[in-house]
Amino acid sequence: MKVVTRRVFLRGMMILGAGAAIAACAPKSVVVPTQEPKPASLTKIAEAPTSVPASASPEPAATGTPIQPSATPVVKARTPSPAPAGAAYLAVARGTSPAEITMRAIAAIGGIERFVKKGYDVIVKPNICNANNGPEYASTTNPEVVATLVKLALGAGAKRVRVMDYPFAGSGQAAYARSGIEEAVKAAGGEMELMAAMKFADTKIPVGQDIKSWPVYQPILEADLVINVPIAKDHGIARLTLAGKNLMGTVENRPGIHRNLGQRIADIASLVKPQLTIIDAVRMLMANGPTGGNLNDVKQANTVIASHDIVAADAYATTLFGLRPEDISYVAASAKMGLGTMDLKSIKIEEPDV
Amino acid sequence: MKIAHWRRARQVIQALALVFFLGLAVYSWRSLRSPSPAGIPLRLDPLAALAAMLAERRWLTAFIPALVLVAASILLGRFWCGWLCPLGTLIDWISPRHLAGTEPAPSSRWRSVKYALLFVTLFAALWGNLTLLFLDPLTIFLRSVSTLLLPALNWLITQAEITLYRVVFLRGALEALDALLRSALLSYKQPYYGGAVLFVLFLGGILALGLIVRRAWCRYLCPLGGMIAFVSKASWLKRRVSDSCVSCGACARHCPMGTIDADKGYASDSGECTLCLDCAPVCPKGAISFGGDWRVDRGWSYDPSRRQALGALGASLAGLALLKLNPRAHHPDPHRLRPPGAKEESLLSSCIRCGACLHVCPTHGLQPSLTQTGLEGLGTPLLVPRLGHCEYSCTACGNTCPTGAIPRLSQPEKLEHPIGKAYIDPKICIPWSGRGDCIVCEEMCPLPQKAIFLRETSFTDNIGEVRTFLAPIVLHERCIGCGLCESKCPVNGEAAIRVVVDPMS
Repeated sequence: MKVVTRRVFLRGMMILGAGAAIAACAPKSVVVPTQEPKPASLTKIAEAPTSVPASASPEPAATGTPIQPSATPVVKARTPSPAPAGAAYLAVARGTSPAEITMRAIAAIGGIERFVKKGYDVIVKPNICNANNGPEYASTTNPEVVATLVKLALGAGAKRVRVMDYPFAGSGQAAYARSGIEEAVKAAGGEMELMAAMKFADTKIPVGQDIKSWPVYQPILEADLVINVPIAKDHGIARLTLAGKNLMGTVENRPGIHRNLGQRIADIASLVKPQLTIIDAVRMLMANGPTGGNLNDVKQANTVIASHDIVAADAYATTLFGLRPEDISYVAASAKMGLGTMDLKSIKIEEPDV
Repeated sequence: MKIAHWRRARQVIQALALVFFLGLAVYSWRSLRSPSPAGIPLRLDPLAALAAMLAERRWLTAFIPALVLVAASILLGRFWCGWLCPLGTLIDWISPRHLAGTEPAPSSRWRSVKYALLFVTLFAALWGNLTLLFLDPLTIFLRSVSTLLLPALNWLITQAEITLYRVVFLRGALEALDALLRSALLSYKQPYYGGAVLFVLFLGGILALGLIVRRAWCRYLCPLGGMIAFVSKASWLKRRVSDSCVSCGACARHCPMGTIDADKGYASDSGECTLCLDCAPVCPKGAISFGGDWRVDRGWSYDPSRRQALGALGASLAGLALLKLNPRAHHPDPHRLRPPGAKEESLLSSCIRCGACLHVCPTHGLQPSLTQTGLEGLGTPLLVPRLGHCEYSCTACGNTCPTGAIPRLSQPEKLEHPIGKAYIDPKICIPWSGRGDCIVCEEMCPLPQKAIFLRETSFTDNIGEVRTFLAPIVLHERCIGCGLCESKCPVNGEAAIRVVVDPMS
């Protein structure tokens, strides 16, 4: 056997180290190459028979939505998928089976195929805020709703469905287990991903009004499809934790977001742009949120809201609490930025009962 | 089986035991599994057992394994030191082989230091003080693993991941590696321990002594070694040298404990012999054997004596007086937060300083006390919420503590034992000081009935403009002092909301 001397070993290590250093010195390009698959997948959407407009125009013009193009062209080409003719802009399904109403709500806005194409890398982002309480306390998203989304996405040909959140207290592992989401997702064939420090990177927010860059979890930006699935609950300063607030689980330095919370959440939403928002209002936490822990604060509402428009979904959810959309600062800020509409009268809403 | 084979077996068992102790420590870290087995090795420790029972003046069932070890030592002598002790194995591995026979031979009288330490430890325990258990090898081992080895490993691997993640083609492999390591070994957040440098110097010092004189720690200093040596004086299994000995001295040169005495016909002290069996295979005449013999091994210059015991009694009293004169005892630090349910009064005389509680704390908020509780409290657990809060659903520390210094509480019981109370400093609190909305503390409060509520507060500034903020207020009758608010408070430096020992209790 050839003997590796210390000198040879050190030389090898130096070459390896230098190679790694050179490779690692190609910095900010990180964001760029990861965007390459995106235009490709967009063209796929454009070619798909269900899509109405053949142009790559970002508006789902078919439904005549009031979404305005952003002031500056967004780096991320992630846009809401065009809706098939006849599909509702927003759906509110009510019924006792969380799985059933989730499926019905999605069917009403054009079906899962509108959002998931074959081979897609899908991330489902529920709210798993801590490991304190089980799902019956309504501080974490309903496991059945999450599992249904996993099943639907896999059924529509997704290559991979990951479910993740970044709890604000305690470890992801403990919170995943306690929420019941881990078990349900694994049974449905999805993966739970522990959000790793290495995958957060400072990212520019091109249209950000208050913050121009923030440390964001890169896979969320790289995935083909992000499904945002918050639970509707009470929250001290934001008043309600809904879809916009749920995006805080995709960034680091969350205490910092709380300064000028409404605008900063809207800024994050302008970057992350989840293409599908499902609001779980099967159980709603009416007080002592977002942490909960008291069954008296839980209201069984048996409702699921679905829309491609995060602002519209949140706007509708505020009405479940007897509030108006403009009462919630991040809903108002997001609408003002053109991320969606909070004018519920201007959109087509379907309300199936199951 | 020949002695050489037994020696080989000893080496294998040593390695396996080290892997076991290390594996158990890694397995039990940050209490991913419940109940955590982090405290189990400590239950084998007869020194910790006797000292804790003396200090608490009650029988502790958890320490039955230590009795087994004592009984085994009456039969087999200091086999613990030679075959099982993780610190002993590390010292063996670090000692250069070429030391054999060339090392300086300090006077054997130094061996009595370990007996002195043993006696002082036990007398101090009788007076309710357990500070010296800081020197117990099993506590040294666990403390070093949990405050140094694992945090350093966690930091290095995480930093390497962050660096290498920029290389795009490595990402797939890194993700798989991280998913594996993060769930089984590493922590979701980087732990930081005050005193880690002190502990590394301490462990490093012990190992470094082994570079000068093999097993110097075990020969001269280790108080647990002293206790087992004391018992082993009367042990049954003893080393024997037959008449065929030609006085070549090979065995004495190879003995890592240096206990084979040429002046006594190459006999050894059964209180020093660790039954490592290094001596037998090197004997050219095969004159060394091991067999049963109930005689008590006396007549060594360093044997423990009545005078030494009396001296230790005096030293323990003098030391105790010195520790008790610490002004901190009468003017306690208000941030001296103890784990849930632990009582300051009884903690010092029931905590064996093993660090199992810090080891299992999932947020790494439990820290070893350095100066906050004086020398007397060295190594006892303190909660430092800025480094990690007490997790609402966790009861790991009490369930791991081998002595009950932290009581074994269920999660609802834990909530009945407040760690302290949170107080807001309005000078730096963002809304209270008029600098904007914040409320992170209220958001974080994990209680089903939040202990922090928000009150609309307004004031008129110097240009006559009325500013209105939601300002947090603590409801002290609800607060359990978990410190999650302090841990997440977004101001720089110390938090604007801090948990202190309940000033009204």
